[in-house]
Amino acid sequence: MVEQIARAVSGGARISAEDALRLYRDAPTHLLGRLADGIRARKHPEGIVSYIIDRNVNYTNVCTARCNFCAFYRTVGSPDGYVLGFEEIFAKIDETIAVGGNQMLLQGGHNPDLPIQWYEDLFRAIKQRYPDFKLHALSPPEVLHISRLNNVPVPAVIARLVAAGLDSIPGGGAEMLVDRVRKLLNCYGKASSDEWLGVMREAHRAGLRTTATMMYGTVETDEERIEHMLRLRDLQDETGGFTAFITWSYQPEHTERAGIEATGIDYLRTLALARIVLDNVDNLQASWVTQGGKVGQLSLAFGANDMGSVMIEENVVRAAGASYCMDEVEIVANIEDAGFTAKRRNMHYEVLGDPIFREREVPRMLSLATARADGDASVPEELRNYPARSRQGKQLRLAQ
Amino acid sequence: MTDRSTFDGMMSRLQAGDRLSADEIRDLAATPDILSLGMLADTLRRRLHDRRVTYVRVAQYSVDHTWTDAIPPGATEVRITGVPGSLPLAVAAVEQARAAVGTRVVSGYSWTALAALANGGTPMSRVLGELRGAGLDAVAEVPMDSVGNLDTAVDALKAAGFDQIRLTIDKAPAADRVALLIRAGALQDRVGCIRAINPLPMLLSSVRPTTGYDDVKMVAIARLAAPHIDTVQVDWLRYGPKLAQVALTFGADDLDGVTASDAAPDGHRRAPLEEVKRNIEAAGFVAAERDGRFVVVSS
Ligand code: SF4
Repeated sequence: MVEQIARAVSGGARISAEDALRLYRDAPTHLLGRLADGIRARKHPEGIVSYIIDRNVNYTNVCTARCNFCAFYRTVGSPDGYVLGFEEIFAKIDETIAVGGNQMLLQGGHNPDLPIQWYEDLFRAIKQRYPDFKLHALSPPEVLHISRLNNVPVPAVIARLVAAGLDSIPGGGAEMLVDRVRKLLNCYGKASSDEWLGVMREAHRAGLRTTATMMYGTVETDEERIEHMLRLRDLQDETGGFTAFITWSYQPEHTERAGIEATGIDYLRTLALARIVLDNVDNLQASWVTQGGKVGQLSLAFGANDMGSVMIEENVVRAAGASYCMDEVEIVANIEDAGFTAKRRNMHYEVLGDPIFREREVPRMLSLATARADGDASVPEELRNYPARSRQGKQLRLAQ
Repeated sequence: MTDRSTFDGMMSRLQAGDRLSADEIRDLAATPDILSLGMLADTLRRRLHDRRVTYVRVAQYSVDHTWTDAIPPGATEVRITGVPGSLPLAVAAVEQARAAVGTRVVSGYSWTALAALANGGTPMSRVLGELRGAGLDAVAEVPMDSVGNLDTAVDALKAAGFDQIRLTIDKAPAADRVALLIRAGALQDRVGCIRAINPLPMLLSSVRPTTGYDDVKMVAIARLAAPHIDTVQVDWLRYGPKLAQVALTFGADDLDGVTASDAAPDGHRRAPLEEVKRNIEAAGFVAAERDGRFVVVSS
């Protein structure tokens, strides 16, 4: 049975939910890898493995969603809560450009004290200073949060943000696109499966490209992992707007949900399965941030064709216990050691060129930056221009 | 891997109990096709061990340890680490460890540390003989890339009564390790007393760490190049759960260096034993605890 399915997959056939489940459960790990690797080679016959130099910036950690798998958020009024100032963000962009970066991945908590104007003004200010710099920003739950908070429908939110400078939308917040799971993870309220997919549909309609993600290893069944992949595959059939898929294991440390992390083999099998199921998504990223450099590199044999981001800053996964770091030199060394050609790309997965450190001198980065230095509780100047909704937020404005 | 028919040919030979030639091993080591390599190693691994993966809980103590506190009861091997300043000190540490652990296995030292003791004019046979007499069951590391003459070292160990030799690698780069592993395979054919091989470097470089591809490749090559060495190990502590687990599907059958204390330090990850078993089982294998003499104690 597994052999039959394997033959069909090798022949380019689309896999059903039932067959995907059988492969995931019964196929030997190397066979899964081989099938996934075959698809990767068909889609990327030139043997290129890409990566992007960008910075993962979290503009605020204040969040009302309270997903129980999240170690990053702080409640409204928490002394550890922060909102980055525009100047702080500009400084991060300067550092990103200095190491050859061309994009910022900007995501944050659902902060009730940041109206849509704050985002618009920030995006405009960034684009004015850095016209060529790309903004890959605001995952679907954040878009929904802005829509609900400001009473503006999702298509209009997207239109306004695009007008202000939004270039593309990251696929975060998908977790598991199965409502039973979302309810258990306390993330159904921030976005149901349909709502998450709905925001992506609107974004694709508006001409934006987006990524898609999956966080596995909490409470879902094997069937539900596959259901998640199939829901993405269906939307991709409809819109073609997803550039890439990224999956990672739930990082339990310091979260309310706690528990244990799925193993490395489970990651490689899940990744390979995703490569097989998502036949209409071009790119698969390796999550070395959660799996470490070694399993991250091994992902390239299990269907991944992209090493993701040369991270300059990372806050969310680190809060949950994992802290792996690779700069461009190391990412490229890993790609080449695995027998591939390393190329820099943009968010649209267009090749920008060879590694930047071979073109000019860039500083090595042996550790990741954080959103803010420890103990920095400063409140940015410009926040006073935006009305707060929460009591604590209002008090903060008054004190400014 | 050159092509599919070469691979299929190798696979059926391995299944039939045949072994690959040194040239074939060298070709395999040059391939980026780690999945095919992994399949070959896994086939051989399963022929030898079926679905069983063993692990050993080791309590490691430095040579200057005072041996006053209790040895964790879970440890089935006590390993003395570090470089002793003199032969009497080395012997004393073994005697103290032996007194502290009773019949449990006492292993210790690297061949290179012992060779340094012999440098002072004491013949190596005496160094080994005295340690053996004091109760040392095994020399913990025989690093193939640092011993000088591997054949001589293994012969000396055998002559001194160490009949479960464990070959290791200190830091040789991947390219050099292939030749060493081929050599280990040939050596075992001659001596028959090599019990285990640990093909990943013991000394980790933070500047140029080995890669995931390197690691799984070396594990697979060790298995294929030395089919008569029963055990291919990965060090659980040094290499971490993720890589160690993946290595099990690339030919490894044993996890060395599992912490003997079951306390989870500061809530980080899980208690080691549980974590080891979970990783073995999640890779599709059956976990069995062994003692320092490679005898399964529970499964
Ligand atoms: S995952 Fe995002 S939405 Fe959920 S609590 Fe964390 S910051 Fe908030």
